[in-house]
Amino acid sequence: MDALKSFFMTAPVEPAVFAQSLWLIIALPLLGAFVCGVFGKKLGRANVNFIACAMVAGSFALSVLAFWCVNHAPSGGTPVAMENAFSSSAIRYALGYDYGIWFAAGDFRVNLGLMVDHLSGIMLLVITGVGFLIHVYSTSYMEHDESPWRYFAYLNLFIAAMLTLVLADNLVLLFVGWEGVGLASYLLIGFWYTDAAKAWAGRKAFIANRIGDFAFLIGSFLIVLLVGAFNDQASTSNYAPVGINPEAAQVRFREGLEMKGPLTFQGLEVMANAVPASSDKAPNALTLQTPIQAGPLAGRTFGGVLTAALLLFLLGAAGKSAQFPLYVWLPDAMAGPTPVSALIHAATMVTAGVYLFCRMSYLLVLSPTAMLVVASIGAFTALIAALIAFAQDDIKKVLAYSTVSQLGLMFMGVGTGIFWAAVLHLVTHAFFKACLFLGAGSVMHGNGDETDIKKLGGLRHEMTWTWVTFLIATLAITGIAPFSGFFSKDALLHGVHHNHLHGFESASTLLYAVGLVIAACTAFYMTRLYVLTFEGQRSPEAKTEHAHESSGYMTVPLVILAILSVVALVYALPLMPSRNGLQPVMENFLGPVFASAERIASRGALATLDHSVPTMADYLIAWVVALVGGGAAAFAYLKYYPSRGEQPAPAFARAVRRFTQNKFYVDEVYTFLIIRPVKNLGVLLFKLVDTMLIDTVLVRGTAWVTARVGGALRYAQTGDAQAYAAVMALALLGGAVYAIIQVLQ
Amino acid sequence: MVHSVDIKYYLVLAAVLFCLGMFGVLVRRNALVVFMCVELMLNAANLTFLAFARQNGDATGHVSAFFVIAVAAAEASIGLAIVIAVFRSRGTVNIEEIRTMKH
Repeated sequence: MDALKSFFMTAPVEPAVFAQSLWLIIALPLLGAFVCGVFGKKLGRANVNFIACAMVAGSFALSVLAFWCVNHAPSGGTPVAMENAFSSSAIRYALGYDYGIWFAAGDFRVNLGLMVDHLSGIMLLVITGVGFLIHVYSTSYMEHDESPWRYFAYLNLFIAAMLTLVLADNLVLLFVGWEGVGLASYLLIGFWYTDAAKAWAGRKAFIANRIGDFAFLIGSFLIVLLVGAFNDQASTSNYAPVGINPEAAQVRFREGLEMKGPLTFQGLEVMANAVPASSDKAPNALTLQTPIQAGPLAGRTFGGVLTAALLLFLLGAAGKSAQFPLYVWLPDAMAGPTPVSALIHAATMVTAGVYLFCRMSYLLVLSPTAMLVVASIGAFTALIAALIAFAQDDIKKVLAYSTVSQLGLMFMGVGTGIFWAAVLHLVTHAFFKACLFLGAGSVMHGNGDETDIKKLGGLRHEMTWTWVTFLIATLAITGIAPFSGFFSKDALLHGVHHNHLHGFESASTLLYAVGLVIAACTAFYMTRLYVLTFEGQRSPEAKTEHAHESSGYMTVPLVILAILSVVALVYALPLMPSRNGLQPVMENFLGPVFASAERIASRGALATLDHSVPTMADYLIAWVVALVGGGAAAFAYLKYYPSRGEQPAPAFARAVRRFTQNKFYVDEVYTFLIIRPVKNLGVLLFKLVDTMLIDTVLVRGTAWVTARVGGALRYAQTGDAQAYAAVMALALLGGAVYAIIQVLQ
Repeated sequence: MVHSVDIKYYLVLAAVLFCLGMFGVLVRRNALVVFMCVELMLNAANLTFLAFARQNGDATGHVSAFFVIAVAAAEASIGLAIVIAVFRSRGTVNIEEIRTMKH
């Protein structure tokens, strides 16, 4: 055991040496995207498949190495630590490299810095690992498509952008990845662009994302101003929690700002540590209630601006992670190829919002209001998405709403401060949801692209591998005991229940209750999906007589993902020693990342974070909830549906069903409230400004005036040399007369 | 400086020549005659230059007159060439019928 431990904690490469090569992790898939996109047509299908998969595999190998280096703590040696430009205390279990100035304007500057700590390390492994499996799966899934090079170029581009997002050590570089994944997602949703509906789905996703990204940008600008104001106003006593010598810490922070710019996560972390909630303990210090003295934000308090910035980031995260009010694009995004849904719209990109808030956990815990809003948005989204999922008949749409719902759960966790469980659920969800999506793809592949679950059924005997893996993933997301989803969801709900936001005491219980309802709903619609697809008799409406099992390229990734969605449960088990007894592996593991958030919360004024481990009773409740939900669905659809399926449902049930099937008419509400007014305004502006003012008055008017003036002047231009000479003579005469008058005077 | 003639006679002569030339330019229709009239006007100008130069006792007027003569020679040669080209293409040198400048 000790030998194993020391093996995993001794990296084969010196971390400081490896850090310089971090850029390769991004560069490899980027190169793959370039080669596939530019030369793909000439290279041919097999070469493109090989290049695309190899680049991601290379990235995965490097990610493993990076992760290994982050854990580097040889016995007798010191654990790997990264120098913090903003404070004298190093960042533990992190390595990074700064490639110098990216751009600068005045005293604002942004560096091209990459950083790997435990959080981004986990994300790296998920992105490249799941990404690689999905690349392999795609080689078989897309084998009949006519332009695989375009597909793999986009897919590699996506991986590169997502890796940029998680490797970035500042908000600006993160935003580059943030935009990059949005672009790749847009390109891939509209991949089959000859179908207008699919192209429209891509546009919808793009625009919904842009709204969020705009909020993200404004939030970043607010943070820049906030850091500037903090730097101007903070007194030495603010820096007492940062370093042993406050004066040195203040100098260090200023140097850090000059060296790395205001949007670096390390600097934000130091700032968050240095701002107390109240001035009880540090009399002269700047607090969250202190008004900002100068600049565009003058008069507002630090806490207020921070809350506003965090809410803007929430809108940004809502766009990317498909949360209310910007979740409407995700179900439409299912128009893209299925592996894309698995990779981008279930496993990686949509978790960017959760990642962002985990990355900035120390800022989030400074604002209970923002936390509560994040949690409430998550709970609300999770609930309505789960309800909509009940009535969907399209296998991918059910999974899409389920994704929205699970992301909502993660937001609940982030919002109540149980960050590690949110990350754990993110990881396990990446495994089982990718497995479900790929399974759905396999089902479609074997059934002539049939997506209506009512026209499937009985696949259990025909697609054995798909069935087994889909069953495991379904049980995992449903929350049945020995699978990872049970533990991660339970850890999440436990944290939601026991963490307290001061000022919003009753929120935790309410959120917990909502969480249980969501868990029951998840169990119900997932069981319904599974039962209708795999159990019972084959539907007479099926497109093909017999489904065929997919090739090994598709089933092997399914098996690996299914295994992963079981073994990931280890991370939720309380095996690691800590101050309060044993703590879950993941919590221990992410400890260094969330240390600042813990420290700020333990000051006690804003939030109380709980560290208890779920008891048997908690597990029992979760299990019963899952069993009840799943059992109800299984009973309803196995016993009741086959016999009553032919009969018309009562009017009330049909109305409810139509209502949910139409997604609560949210799209229609948006059309009515936003899209149509904007469109009408656009038409008005077009008629008034474009057609009338610009086209008629300016463009045609200019031509008209010129033509008329020319027509009038035409009469002066006779072409008769003598007429011109006469004019000259008259002018001369005039000059002579003038001269004579002058002389005579 | 024997029998020095008063400058005003020169100037009056120049004015008469200039007016004759201008009259010809404005009235005559034959391009060649128009050119001759232009020469007349240039010579009137030359005469004034020389008269003033003589009166002031410096060479500036002479130099100017030389320039005018050179320019007049160039103008006459190019003008004649144009007139001949026009005559070849149209069979006439009547400037009333040559109005292609209009377009």
